[in-house]
Amino acid sequence: MRALGQGSVSSFLKIILDVVYVSLWAGVGGLGLLTLAAILLSFDTELLARLVGGGTAAEFALRGPVMAGGLLAAGLYAVGVLVIVDRLRRIFSTLTAGDPFHPDNVHRLRTIGLALAGLELVRYLVWAVGAWLLPGVDKVEPRMSLTAWFSVLVVFVLAEVFREGARLRREAELTI
Amino acid sequence: MPIRVHLDRLLLERRMSPSELADRAGVTVANLGILKTGGARAVRFTTLEALCRELDCQPGDLLAYEPGPAEAPPDDLL
Repeated sequence: MRALGQGSVSSFLKIILDVVYVSLWAGVGGLGLLTLAAILLSFDTELLARLVGGGTAAEFALRGPVMAGGLLAAGLYAVGVLVIVDRLRRIFSTLTAGDPFHPDNVHRLRTIGLALAGLELVRYLVWAVGAWLLPGVDKVEPRMSLTAWFSVLVVFVLAEVFREGARLRREAELTI
Repeated sequence: MPIRVHLDRLLLERRMSPSELADRAGVTVANLGILKTGGARAVRFTTLEALCRELDCQPGDLLAYEPGPAEAPPDDLL
C-alpha cells in the first residue's frame, strides 16, 4: 500500500478531508445564522419565549446573551477547526502529487500548530468567562490537556522537519 | 557564488552548441543553462566527468574560483 501519490492512502485521506471541510463550512454557516437569530431575537424576548416555549420572557432575557455567547464561542471553535482542516487538505494535496517537501507545507504546519494552540486557549477562555457569568455551573472542568499541548509541540517540530526537507529538496534541484 | 563556470568559452572554442553538449553529456539543456548562469549549487562528479569527456578538457578548465561575496544559504529563502 503506497503512502504517497495518486491512488495512495494520502489521496484517500484527502477525499475524507474534503468532505469534512465542506461539512464544516455548512456547520459554520449554520452556527452563524443561529447566532444572528439569537442576537436579533434577544431584542424581543416575548417573541422568543413564544417561539421556543418553556420559559417566561424575563428568563429568556437573562439566558439570551449567554446563549448568543455560547453560539459565538462554538462558531469561533468551528472556524479554528476549519483552518486546521483546510491546511491539512492542502498538505495532503501535495502528498498526493508526490511532493511532500513543498516549501508551502512549512507555513501550513506552523499555521496548524498555532490554530491548535489557539483552540486550546479559547477553551480556557470560554471556561473562565462561563465560570464568571454562570457561577453555579460547574459541568465543564478547567482541565489542562497535556495531549493538546504535546500535539502543538509535535506539529511545530514537524514543521521544522519539513523546512529541512524543503531545503534539501531545493539543494537537490540545483545539483546538476 | 565565487565559483565561475567557463562553459560558454569552452563551447565557443570547441564550436559546439549547448544542445549538442547536453545531448552528448546526458544533461538537460535546462540544467546546462543553470550551470552556465552560475545558479547551480552543486555539480555531481558524474556530470563533471561527462562534460570534461565531451569538451576534452580538465575540471580546472571548466571551473574557476574568483573571490567575491558569498550567497545566502538556501534555507534563508524558506
